[in-house]
Amino acid sequence: MLKTEKKQAVLGYIFLIPSLVMFTVFMFYPMFYTLYLSFFKWNMIKPVKEFVGLANYVSVLSDPNTWKIFGNTLLYIVILLVFNFIVPYVLSFILSNIVKKGHGFYKSAFFLPSVISLVVGSMLYVWILNPISGPVAIIAKHFGITMPFWSKTQGWVIAVLCIITTWKSFGYNFIIILAGVSGVSQEVIEAARLDNIPMWKIFKDIVLPMSSATGIYVFITTIVQGMQYVFTPIKVITQGGPNYASSNMIYMSYHEAFTLYSTGTSSAVSVMTMALFIILLILEFKFVEKGVYYEN
Amino acid sequence: MKKNFKKIIALALSLVSMVTALAGCQTKEDSQTASSQGEKTVIEYWHPNAEVQGGLTVDELVKNFNETNDHIEVVAKYNPDMYKGLMQNLQAEAATGNYPALVQIGWAFLDYFSNNFEYVEPQEAIDRFDAEDSTFLEDKFLPSVLDLAVNSKGSQVGIPYSLSTPVLYINKDLFREAGLDENGPTTWTEVAEFARTIKEKTGKYGFYMQEPADFWAQQAVVESNGATMIKKDGEKAEATFASPEGIEAMQLLADMIADGSALHVSNDEGCQSFIDGNCAMLYTTIARRASIQEGVQFEAATVKSPLWEGKDRKIPAGGCFLAITAQDDEQIAAAWEFEKYLYSVEAMAEWTKGTGYVPPRNDVAEAENGLKTFLAENDMMTAAVEQIGDVVPWTAFPGDAGLEAEQELLDMRDQILGGQVSAQEGMTKTQDSINELLAN
Repeated sequence: MLKTEKKQAVLGYIFLIPSLVMFTVFMFYPMFYTLYLSFFKWNMIKPVKEFVGLANYVSVLSDPNTWKIFGNTLLYIVILLVFNFIVPYVLSFILSNIVKKGHGFYKSAFFLPSVISLVVGSMLYVWILNPISGPVAIIAKHFGITMPFWSKTQGWVIAVLCIITTWKSFGYNFIIILAGVSGVSQEVIEAARLDNIPMWKIFKDIVLPMSSATGIYVFITTIVQGMQYVFTPIKVITQGGPNYASSNMIYMSYHEAFTLYSTGTSSAVSVMTMALFIILLILEFKFVEKGVYYEN
Repeated sequence: MKKNFKKIIALALSLVSMVTALAGCQTKEDSQTASSQGEKTVIEYWHPNAEVQGGLTVDELVKNFNETNDHIEVVAKYNPDMYKGLMQNLQAEAATGNYPALVQIGWAFLDYFSNNFEYVEPQEAIDRFDAEDSTFLEDKFLPSVLDLAVNSKGSQVGIPYSLSTPVLYINKDLFREAGLDENGPTTWTEVAEFARTIKEKTGKYGFYMQEPADFWAQQAVVESNGATMIKKDGEKAEATFASPEGIEAMQLLADMIADGSALHVSNDEGCQSFIDGNCAMLYTTIARRASIQEGVQFEAATVKSPLWEGKDRKIPAGGCFLAITAQDDEQIAAAWEFEKYLYSVEAMAEWTKGTGYVPPRNDVAEAENGLKTFLAENDMMTAAVEQIGDVVPWTAFPGDAGLEAEQELLDMRDQILGGQVSAQEGMTKTQDSINELLAN
């Protein structure tokens, strides 16, 4: 008996090898190499990398732009959590418990943008939201509203880039959450309804906890998307401008490496971003994961 | 038994997929050696010309060249984000040890490119592979034009290919509507006045100056007012743009934006606004002429880059030179043969027609098979051809800090035009910061 178990275990490890190799080559090695590079000054061409110790970290932390970008990063995450997590959650609840018609239509309508490239989407939005001659500006003009020059205005620029990102990822999140919310047993909800429990309470006390396994997944991916997906519109539309008002930490890392060829600074930013995420993950496991309800 | 069989299959499959993944790298190398041993030499030509900026002509020229010769196959590769983007890609590619054969290098990167990459001087390529035509460069180009591609160490890094200057595009219909002189403004002060009048009379915007990821157009205003971007003394360089003249120039631009007569939007949005008739003047490169001419529904014209009262026009040369980055002899020979084709009168003429660049070769403008009839019919080119004598080099900050210095200029432009700081404050601060970078 013991022997077969051991055999099973060995076999398990053998099956793990291919993915382990892939992870090592494409994740662990680059990760450690990034850590290594963050202690050097290098421009990707010079044959010699100059060791500078912690100087890259010091220069990143003492640069006021870093803090501005850090603030932007948080703002992106918060806005996207509202648009891409809270709104689809409420919408799926409405669709699965209040409006019960036309699910198929909503699903495909919301999901459609997810299959379109974000680069294409960004370019489309530049045209649609052109503050002088875009269709939105023309309609707004009829109501006496002048559109702000959002691509050059602090604050607005982040809001608009978030809208573009939301357009892309809303549908996917919506479908996942809808599946989770529809999975909540109808009998429980019906029972609550018979007791005249208000809808918002049903949502808060029954649906939310019972679909939390899906919810936590979407919550985490939304944060990750808040960092990564917005990269595309930033790169296509603003290149982090005006004066870093739309940059986030991922773009900053890219900008340092591939615009300024300062791989050391870029790596330092990447390492700090990673550290931040590790902390977030630990917090998540410690406090949030406990409250999540897994059906199986 | 059946279960075991399944396991074995699964194991075999995963091993196979692993081996194939590893083998992927191997096959790529094989195919490369095969192609260089085959009948045709394959060379890569890197350019940053999007479809609206001459990309179609690049494809046409490459196609034409590939069809008319039997031993070279040119592959054109488009690099987004203009010369800076191309430089970034080249840097990434060089890090892996691969080089394209022929590349377009923007003027601003002349020193950066020649300090960091290996290249073959055109005369060397000619002497080695085209000896019977060894005076090609002297015969076909003006010395002053060739000098644009000479770096600070005196090396002829490449041959000027695209020459452009900034011009002022005007919307004559809007000018008429506002009761302004249809010949357009001649000084920057007039530009500001005209813009204000247009805003008052028509409600449309008066002016937009291009704001891509370079300081080229702004340099023209700053230097035409008598300021210099940089002072070079041998190896030493010092940024000097924050002089009273330089500050006056940037403040004029900021004021126009502040009073609402000029636009401060992203580059695409700004150019689009001129084309769709929402902005009466556009200050940008002559290289955009073709796409503007095709796009507009009103009477558009160009005027020479405006002056400051009593001062000379100093406009940076935009565009690029061609440099050979091929590493082995076969590739270098092929690169030169293709490059020489690009400099033929017909190919040059096509290039000008497709882009609006002014031809660097001295005999193309008058040649019958060149641009003679074209220039006679396209008076939008005249402004650019007439002001070619006022060209100065595009400022390049030397050394490793060059890219960072350029970035600081862009940050400064954002702050000043966005109204966060005055030109005085922003330019002084940035100049100090750049000089600190250059001193290290």
